Amino acid sequence: MSGELVDLSRRTEPRRVDAEICVIGSGCGGATAARVLAEAGHEVVVLEEGGDYTGPELTQRDGAMYDQLYMDRGGRMTDNRAVSILQGRVLGGGGVINACDVVPIPDGVLEFWRRRHGLTEFTEAALSPHRAAALEDLSASRILDSQLNRANQLLRSGAEALGLRGENMMHNRVGCIGLGTCLIGCPANAKRNPRFVSIPRALEVGVRFFTRARAVRIDDGTRELKRVRARTLDPRGYHEQRDFEVRAKIVILAANAIGSAALLLRSGLGNSRVGRDVSLQPQIPVTGLFDERVDAFRGIPQAYAVTHHERIDAERGLSGFRIEAIMGTPGIVSTLFPFTGAEGKTLMTTYAHVAAALCLVPDEATGTVEVSNAGRPVVRYQQSAEHKQRMREAVRVAARIYLAAGATRVLVPASRPIELRSEADLDRVDALTLEPATAPLLSAHQQGGVRFAASASRGAADPDGCVYGTRGVYVFDSSGFPSTSSTHTMTPIITVSRYLSAKLSASLG
Amino acid sequence: MSVTRRRVLLLGLGLTATALASGGALLGLRGSAPRVAGLRILGDAEYRTLAAVARAHLPPGGAITPGADELDLARAFDGYLADEPPDVQREAKQALALFEFGPLLFDRRLATFSNLSRAEQLEEWESWLSSDSLIRRQIAGSLKRFLSLVYYDHRAVWPAIGYPGPSFSTRSHR
Repeated sequence: MSGELVDLSRRTEPRRVDAEICVIGSGCGGATAARVLAEAGHEVVVLEEGGDYTGPELTQRDGAMYDQLYMDRGGRMTDNRAVSILQGRVLGGGGVINACDVVPIPDGVLEFWRRRHGLTEFTEAALSPHRAAALEDLSASRILDSQLNRANQLLRSGAEALGLRGENMMHNRVGCIGLGTCLIGCPANAKRNPRFVSIPRALEVGVRFFTRARAVRIDDGTRELKRVRARTLDPRGYHEQRDFEVRAKIVILAANAIGSAALLLRSGLGNSRVGRDVSLQPQIPVTGLFDERVDAFRGIPQAYAVTHHERIDAERGLSGFRIEAIMGTPGIVSTLFPFTGAEGKTLMTTYAHVAAALCLVPDEATGTVEVSNAGRPVVRYQQSAEHKQRMREAVRVAARIYLAAGATRVLVPASRPIELRSEADLDRVDALTLEPATAPLLSAHQQGGVRFAASASRGAADPDGCVYGTRGVYVFDSSGFPSTSSTHTMTPIITVSRYLSAKLSASLG
Repeated sequence: MSVTRRRVLLLGLGLTATALASGGALLGLRGSAPRVAGLRILGDAEYRTLAAVARAHLPPGGAITPGADELDLARAFDGYLADEPPDVQREAKQALALFEFGPLLFDRRLATFSNLSRAEQLEEWESWLSSDSLIRRQIAGSLKRFLSLVYYDHRAVWPAIGYPGPSFSTRSHR
């Protein structure tokens, strides 16, 4: 039995399909669930809002790729425009546009989930086979020293000069040729993401994938047979075209931490916790300018992490911060640079001499998702004073690292730009107020919104992923994570989706 | 009471309307200029406001040629908006209106943005980027992001910044 991959933007039929299970979203959560359930003999249909981009269709150009591969054409932000929310909208989801970082859920986080959130079944023993399978799916390996580009070498040398602990990261690249444009897709198809692992396997075992299909609501969520109402999109994914419907007994949401909650809210499904408990894990960039040519835009952009300040324990889960190298193509990097006018243009002439880092600062899950009158998600999020303080501390450390590595200038992008030329300037970081829209904060690892919890009073979905108040509507993506699972969510999502899919399959018989 | 972006935007537009109603002569502040052909969403005045903003952010000459005008970034924004939902188009047009009348509303200048000198436009633009007002930072930040991304994605800009361009070719990957 083989499945099919149907681009609904180019077809007027079908208008309705029936299946046992409908999965919404084809990323790490959705593709994994579809594959595992189909391998167990279930009939599965997957809806994906984005298109299918592989090989040379991934053009390495900012404008076209952010437009086509990212949710809201790369423009999704919190309501106060404080945090840019990066989410995939493409067959394969976030795995297509992430930096390939493989960071499993630490045991300390699982213990935190058990203690604080009552997820007693989320044990190391229960999760470990699925974690192992996730790592196998990803062909996970440690990045070699020989694969560190100059920007990552500089981050490491600066950290080592300061005595800070760090490591080469794990990744899911096979056959990487160092193009450097991971964040807008890999035309060499070197990422072992869902597009090249779970989706081909799912097709082999009969899964039907429908792309350019935007799920807009779920009707009859409390009845045995549910109707997932979708709208097909035009070939570029801009405009809705016609209705499309899937009838299924089981619906699995894997539409990302914003989209899954928004779909439940639009459908009037679930309890009052739906749309709450959202973590954005905001990041802030810091750039070092060097006399030497760094060419950070080539090679693996994110290969070395300074983990010295990361804290993992059963009391708070993941906290502290980590600092990782990063780089992008000129368009996206320019949006992170401070200054404007002639001064801004002059600064961009140093592009090839820049090494950039992201400070990843785990947060409390205090954000919310609502739905606007137009039906689109509205994400509300405020940084706490403690989180701001931790982020400033991370910026200070990143600045010290670059100065120790020989940077002539360190720039912190803010509406009133901060520049440091020596350690004597470190106090300038205190001017980083982090008031909304004063610094280009990024979120690449959204979690929560349909939190897993042992009771309906504490969360929106039960420990099996079933949304409270529904019958057979599940959530198998990072929406369910009760706190930040890891600094990088690809591996945790695949792990948890495998775990929950196996449980669901067993319960269905 | 928290003041939302939309509330402030509406407040700003209300003030703009009041200012216009109080003296039709203020309309003259916008000047007259030839029609802009081929726009899909923006009006002529909105196009000219955005073109002036783009010129302030990415002026001609200097370390990198070309400037924003040569790449017609305002038209690129118009094309982008054409594929956005109606409420987003409406909000963008409102934001440009607020920006155009910003000097009048926020700085007590008897001029609109398009009618300021180049130096004054840069000063005004910078004041929006670093403003204490959330709505001004939000609007300026959004415009800056779009303009920067489109400008630096352009091949004509890359030689000056030392970027050799996309490195993948099917031939090199055989």
